Amino acid sequence: MCAMLINRIFSGNDAVYGLTVQAVDQAIQQHGADKAVGFPHTAYCLPCYYAVTGVKVKTLGDLKEALGVVKTLMTREEQLEDALMSGVATALCAEFIEALKYIDGAEPYSEPCTGHLPDQIIRELGVPLVTGDIPGVAVILGSAPTAKEGVDLIKSYQAQGILVTLVGGIIDQAQELGLNMGYNVRIVPLGKDVTSVIHVVSVAVRAGLIFGNLTPGDAAGLIQYTTERVPAFVNAFKPVDDVILAAGAGAIKLGFPVISNETENIQEVPGALIACPDVADFNKVSLEARNIKIKITKVDIPVAFASAFEGEIIRRKDMQVEFDGSRVDCAELVQTKSLDEVEDHKIELIGPEIDTFEEGSKHSLAYVVEVAGKKMQPDFEPVIERKFHNYINCIEGVYHTGQRDMFRIRISKDAYNAGFRAKHIAEVLYTQVRNEFEAIVDKCQVKIYTDPAECTKVRQELAIPTFDKRDARLETLTDESVDVYYSCILCQAFSPSHVCVVTPERLGLCGAVSWLDAKATNELDPNGPCQVITKERLIDDRIGEYEDVNEAVKKFSQGALEEVSLYSIMEKPMTSCGCFECICGIEPFSNGVVIANREYAGMTPLGMTFPEMASMTGGGVQTPGFMGHGKHFIASKKFMKAEGGIERIVWMPKELKETVAERLNQTAKELYGIDNFTDMIGDETIATDPETLVAFLTEHNHPALSMEPMM
Amino acid sequence: MALNGIQIFKLTPKKNCKECGCPTCMAFSMKVAQGAMDISACPHMSEEALASLSEATAPPMKTIKIGTGDAEYSLGGETVLFRHEKTFVSKTRYAVALCTDMDDAAVEAKLAEIPKVDYERIGERMYTELVYVNCGEGADAAKYTDLVKKAAGLGRTLILGCKDPEIAKAALEICKDSKPVLNGADASNYEAMNTVATEAGVVLGVSGKDLNELYDTVAALEKLGNKNLILDVTGADIKETFGNAVQVRRAAIKDQDRTFGYPSIVNTVALAKGDVHMQAALASLFTMKYGSIVVMEQMTYAEALSLFGLRQNLFTDPQKPMKVEPGIYPLNGAGADAPVMITVDFALTYFVVSGEMERSGVPVNLTICDAGGLSVLTSWAAGKFSGSIIAKFIQEQVEPKVTSRKLVIPGKVAVLKGDIEAKLPGWEVIVGPREAVQLVKFLKDMQA
Amino acid sequence: MPFNQKPQKFNAKINSVTIGSGDKTVSIGGNSTFPFYTFDAPEENTPKVGVEISDMGLEGAPDGIKAYYEGAETMADIAKKAAAMEGADFVTLILEGGDPNGANKSIEELIAVVKEVAEAIDCPLVVEGCKNVEKDAELLPKVAEALQGRNVLLLSEKEENYKAIGAAAGLAYDQIVGAESAVDINLAKQLNVVTTQLGVDAKKIVMNVGSAAVGYGYEYVVSTMDRIKGAALSQNDNMLQMPIITPVSSEVWGVKEAMASEADMPEWGSRDERGIDMEIMTAAADLASGSDAVILRHPQAVKTISEMIKALV
Repeated sequence: MCAMLINRIFSGNDAVYGLTVQAVDQAIQQHGADKAVGFPHTAYCLPCYYAVTGVKVKTLGDLKEALGVVKTLMTREEQLEDALMSGVATALCAEFIEALKYIDGAEPYSEPCTGHLPDQIIRELGVPLVTGDIPGVAVILGSAPTAKEGVDLIKSYQAQGILVTLVGGIIDQAQELGLNMGYNVRIVPLGKDVTSVIHVVSVAVRAGLIFGNLTPGDAAGLIQYTTERVPAFVNAFKPVDDVILAAGAGAIKLGFPVISNETENIQEVPGALIACPDVADFNKVSLEARNIKIKITKVDIPVAFASAFEGEIIRRKDMQVEFDGSRVDCAELVQTKSLDEVEDHKIELIGPEIDTFEEGSKHSLAYVVEVAGKKMQPDFEPVIERKFHNYINCIEGVYHTGQRDMFRIRISKDAYNAGFRAKHIAEVLYTQVRNEFEAIVDKCQVKIYTDPAECTKVRQELAIPTFDKRDARLETLTDESVDVYYSCILCQAFSPSHVCVVTPERLGLCGAVSWLDAKATNELDPNGPCQVITKERLIDDRIGEYEDVNEAVKKFSQGALEEVSLYSIMEKPMTSCGCFECICGIEPFSNGVVIANREYAGMTPLGMTFPEMASMTGGGVQTPGFMGHGKHFIASKKFMKAEGGIERIVWMPKELKETVAERLNQTAKELYGIDNFTDMIGDETIATDPETLVAFLTEHNHPALSMEPMM
Repeated sequence: MALNGIQIFKLTPKKNCKECGCPTCMAFSMKVAQGAMDISACPHMSEEALASLSEATAPPMKTIKIGTGDAEYSLGGETVLFRHEKTFVSKTRYAVALCTDMDDAAVEAKLAEIPKVDYERIGERMYTELVYVNCGEGADAAKYTDLVKKAAGLGRTLILGCKDPEIAKAALEICKDSKPVLNGADASNYEAMNTVATEAGVVLGVSGKDLNELYDTVAALEKLGNKNLILDVTGADIKETFGNAVQVRRAAIKDQDRTFGYPSIVNTVALAKGDVHMQAALASLFTMKYGSIVVMEQMTYAEALSLFGLRQNLFTDPQKPMKVEPGIYPLNGAGADAPVMITVDFALTYFVVSGEMERSGVPVNLTICDAGGLSVLTSWAAGKFSGSIIAKFIQEQVEPKVTSRKLVIPGKVAVLKGDIEAKLPGWEVIVGPREAVQLVKFLKDMQA
Repeated sequence: MPFNQKPQKFNAKINSVTIGSGDKTVSIGGNSTFPFYTFDAPEENTPKVGVEISDMGLEGAPDGIKAYYEGAETMADIAKKAAAMEGADFVTLILEGGDPNGANKSIEELIAVVKEVAEAIDCPLVVEGCKNVEKDAELLPKVAEALQGRNVLLLSEKEENYKAIGAAAGLAYDQIVGAESAVDINLAKQLNVVTTQLGVDAKKIVMNVGSAAVGYGYEYVVSTMDRIKGAALSQNDNMLQMPIITPVSSEVWGVKEAMASEADMPEWGSRDERGIDMEIMTAAADLASGSDAVILRHPQAVKTISEMIKALV
């Protein structure tokens, strides 16, 4: 904060303090020092002063003493902190001046102004503020350049459910245009003197006392509470004089940014004092500065949107138009952008609307959902993208299959006749992404392309390189390359003590939760089933055992499990819930392991079927020699690394073998230089007993036979 | 310390001879580790291996068998204290009490009442399995044997509550072949009672004035070579009995104290004579906490409907959900023309869904599809509640019996609608609500 | 050689939460053993029994219950009789008439009932919503407001509406928050975590971890409570140390065994007896697995369960 601004705040503060001293002295002269002073219907005396100091002011004499305390806040070093504390002092003075107005049960305010708000209102307000039904509190101060601009601003907040409080000339402007005001419509005119702004500060402060369990006098706690939990901000119209500036400094100290169209003798303080020359931009700038997100409750499209339509199939004869990625260029994509590159809810159609398409025709389509957010990471792009299928299918009369650049969408004639157009797909994507990914997406815009040349361009130049890059990232994402793993306890409902430790190279044993999924789940729902597990204290590199992982597993299994290794099947193997895709079990005669997948109904060379193996492995109990895992894990370099890795695999059902062959062979080649490793692995057409299996393995010179004994 | 499968396997002959009934030694070892088989089933185990294994793999609590034929029941054999750790294996069995103190009419009435409760619930027959025949103070052998004879006539397995070795012997003459329990040994008579029980080849029930006396008496009986015991943990009052039941079980399982590793009897009649409601409360309490046999004055439908339901829930595999039989369940007087609603065979789903449907009063044909006993979303995800499975089920099981062609599917699998429509020509597929609580409104709206 | 008794001692305990104001309060929780394991350590508070009454009056109530309330004409009369029931520790008012799919009474109408009941009795009061999450999100904050100073327990805040109910009950009006989750330890814990994150004091939360009548998926209730008590005591998990209250009657009086008329099921015998035993056995099982309070309707069940509790501690 520059010296000019600081000095203006000091001077504003001095002026207000002077006035307050004068007013208090005058009141004492008139009423005597024992005269009671306070606001009606509050248990917190002078709430702001009480909250900051812990002292209850009850008489004019107390008030005089309090002024002395306020004076101690008014230090005059040319530093930011001094300026802000002077702001607080200004606010307290305002409270004193306002309190004097209420002496002798006076009713200093009249319609439409409310002045002081009783405790009861705060209790009522607190609940919607906590639930987000009131997403923010706007304090509008002064007179707008024109009455219309002022009222438009008020209405823009009102439409978002924000509580609007008015101080000064804006009240007259609102009345002039006949705006309906009152607590019930969430527009509260406080008063015309600038000091009446204290009544909204008092609301914030009492919210801290009531809802935050704050101890009066805990000024630091109060400031933390208002900063973190009271989503208020100030819109101050020019001219902003020294007194308003000083009051603004008080707001800033409480964590409320001040947005103003004043340009003279002022300097921006990033995030706190923000210049915004055009009043029409106040809303956007304010919400962004206070990080207020407006909930979207309804998908604005001409047809219904519900999960009941998820299974609808649009047949050829019923379809108005089709987009088919297998025939023409299509693409669906999420792109992470910086906050200033995204204009929230901007929807751009590039190319013709579908009105111009012939009934029953096939076209190109591409949509790029650009998102920005403080917590957004490119790793979450595929997580969001994977939901598109579900979102689009929930539209009545629209059908979606496939993904990436290989999707197909059909829009039914009924939906088209109801007015459904391409831009509505963008609308749905916007709404759903904002709603479901609220925790990570602050802003979202959608570009939807119907122009064939543009679609080709998006697909070739944007989508395919992005997909390639992501696939490459997945390839390089190793257990060593990340700093944390994640727990997953989604299935504890039926497997109480089981905890999955999800690492980049070992996805959850259900096959459905990858490390990226777990990471996104954790961001979206920080108290949910996926929690961060650090991996800082290695115990044993060979089997992949960490002290921190053990602690996490102990905690999440409620103590049922104390130690777990990430890479061994014999020593402290990871437990299984019951929803594993596959089970791997030791086959002692071939010195290797057999894998059976859930779909396989037959016998394995272990002498056990999948259900029999499952009954021994499930339930979150450690069973050395057996473990559940996802299909994808079979080709991982970490697959029972401690026992020698995938070389140990001696048998799999044929179908499973074929599914994993390509990746498994690649890993075998890379790790051991073996070509076509799967040819050495038995299956049910070759053997379902250990003797025949060993004969087959011997014949094919399977490496497991000559490895160190597993037990 | 229990051994795991790999440790056991190392001691097996590794011959895969299959003589134990398992295809491989590995499979056998895993079963032994699970407690599903006894190590002695392997004929090729070396003496040393057997010796080292049998102690380690012996269950902490013995499984005691009573009764014969269809009326044979296993008691005990539990390995855990809480059902979420592992399945409770032996259900609590209930006994209705008769006593020599009752007059003939009361006895006759009781004997007539017992067989009346006999019904099926989710594939399980529910009835009073046991009859407790108490020898009241002062009753002589003639009176007691007379009562035992009458009770035996019901064909239920008996528990003889009798502390007099001579009278007990006489009673056993009548019924020992049906393997009753002789509940009557205590510190004062255990030697004589032991002789009577072992000669008759029946399980002996032991009691004590407190846990210490009980413990010592069991130890003494074991010393005499009798390990075919049941512990009557009924104490002077409810509090003491509860403490006994819990501590006996906990000592056996948690602290591996084998002396208390036997099933238990709780006699609620002794604790709350004449108060059937208190007995109901206690029957529930001791089903939850470790009564292997619970004795009550009566088991009418009022007690049975709740108690057997509780037991059925409690003694289930925590990982294997209970299933209901697939088929058509017409509700609210539904005829062949009532709409068809389909859901999975997970028992909980069935109960919740059918309950709401009944509440709606709207006639519907609830059809249950074989979905592996899983919930709607789980079975759908596992491919067990797919469009083709539903279509096949409807075509084979429902179409021949129901004329309606309206099919309501659970809202959670709305995604199947198109697929089912394609596979079931002539059917109108309607997506129902996602949650059962919305069914009443949904059905009323549909009917309107 | 005598039996070697090994008491199981925990260095953790369930929070003790006091409901009600003035002279008549009840405290639930506070214990550091599994339920009724007095041989391990004495219990601080005994489990409590509540009597449930409905804003719908005695409509549809079985004969035995109607008989008890005979002569009661107003909600105030009913409340007074409920409070006077032998074995009753507190009264629970369920506002089932608020259900939008049922009678759909207005919030004003329901608040009037709440006030009438609250004024009629001075014993501790628990108020249950209508179970519809949207309606409860509006209704229960109003109840919390109407009963300021009574220190009532409000059932229930759920995952879907915890902010509105948690903030109103736990913060604005200083009542006790009943956190309801669906028979899953992790869901229960998660709800406690987010509720405390709102600023609600952990010591002012009571859990309803889900209930069922015996026979109706009751195994999940048992295991959920067993695991919660286990984690609370052996792991000292303070996000699971809230006492548990279990509404038994609303489950029990909805199942076939308690509902079917004698005309429909003649062999089953008296409907009253079936319902009583269903309530008794479900409540006894709940208490055995960890409920610190149960809510019942039938006077016989209230009497028997409260006697059982007294006999056990």
